[in-house]
Amino acid sequence: MNKLAIFLFLTLSVQVNAQRFIGKNGEINFFSETPIEDISAVNNKVSAVFDGSTNDLVFQLNIADFKFPIALMQEHFNENYLESDLHPKSKFIGRVVNIIDEQATVSGDLTIHGITNSIDVVGSFIKSKNSVLINSQFIIKLKDYNIKIPKIVMYKIAEEIEVKVNIELIKLK
Amino acid sequence: MKKTIILSIYFCSFSVKAQDNLLNLLSQDNEPIYITYLFKGTKVVNGQSVELPSKGVLQFTIQHRFGTLNSGFYNLYGLDNSQVRLGFDYGIKDFLAVGLGRSSTTKTIDANSKLRIKRQIKDGFPVTIVANFATYVKQWQYTDNQLDNFLFTNQLSFAHQLLIARKINRDLTLQISPTLIHYNLVETLDEPNDKFSLGLGGRYKIAKRITVNIEYFHQLNDKINNNVLSFGFDIETGGHVFQLHLSNSAAMFERAFIHETNGNWLDGDIYFGFNISRVFTLNK
Repeated sequence: MNKLAIFLFLTLSVQVNAQRFIGKNGEINFFSETPIEDISAVNNKVSAVFDGSTNDLVFQLNIADFKFPIALMQEHFNENYLESDLHPKSKFIGRVVNIIDEQATVSGDLTIHGITNSIDVVGSFIKSKNSVLINSQFIIKLKDYNIKIPKIVMYKIAEEIEVKVNIELIKLK
Repeated sequence: MKKTIILSIYFCSFSVKAQDNLLNLLSQDNEPIYITYLFKGTKVVNGQSVELPSKGVLQFTIQHRFGTLNSGFYNLYGLDNSQVRLGFDYGIKDFLAVGLGRSSTTKTIDANSKLRIKRQIKDGFPVTIVANFATYVKQWQYTDNQLDNFLFTNQLSFAHQLLIARKINRDLTLQISPTLIHYNLVETLDEPNDKFSLGLGGRYKIAKRITVNIEYFHQLNDKINNNVLSFGFDIETGGHVFQLHLSNSAAMFERAFIHETNGNWLDGDIYFGFNISRVFTLNK
């Protein structure tokens, strides 16, 4: 019993000093093609942390940081669809479950618009001594996150949105 | 058994703690969260709101005001008489916009600039402050040049406004607008060139895309005409904002609707009007 306690304390201290990688200027963009207008937006202030010892991976961004080419879309996105005043942040809390040839499977909980769903995403995960490069692409369905689209809008909005993630994490000293 | 429990608790708590710690690492920088979208449009009803067109956006507004509702069936309750203001507003920067418009009946051209001075911040600065400066030119004809007092500068009048608004909650925004109107030429010696007024306005969201707006300007000195009281409905339909108005003034620029309003609500001098605005993104 004592040995176990010592062991736990030891590992705890080891793991606190674990290798962590952090990035604060990642990019997430999304795109949806509709007959009338393509909708796209980019967020360059995505932050993420990867813990090399536990394989924990978390992402976080502010919804209001998404920039649209058309200001009115940005307003509708914040005001009507994502309601960024009520749900200012989106986050992902997960873990890298599998890496084969720099292709990783990440699984965890994605929270958008105050709704959390568990997702599995595959992407490239290039880890070197001092950095981790993450590149991924996946589809989210608006109805999974309770994002309602009114029947009368000028431009159609697709039910599925393609999301691209691109971030470089640097080893935390 | 005991060990297993301790171990599992340990790992459980550890993994939660680790991920929380990781999130905490990200939440350290506290950038101010600006409160945005206080009003749906750049105007409350007739008067300017604290909203500006975004940078690179050109907003084209067609404003219509009909005659009074009490003008009888012969005039189709005012619909026979209509006046128009065509206006353009352009966002040079996110905090600076300029506008140009012309009102038909009064043959007045107005030019204005709006400058956002401060923004409301969540748990921080309480209000958004915008300054609005406008110049009005009354158009003249060749024969007007014969008049004794004809000078170009005499055709000018100005408005200086401070627009102070606070988004109380996601539905309710209130605005207070101290205003100074300067007339370069007044009709009588007794009339002052500078007139002060205080505007009060607000909007309440009754549905996600519909707001009810109200606006009142109280004249503070040398009041000759009535104070203006207006109600509006803003309906957002994607690319357009469609605004319906009821007001005791038919004018569509500050000088005229604040100090030159003849209509009286209680007598039924109510003007129905609507605005349609369309935005064009010129500069992406």
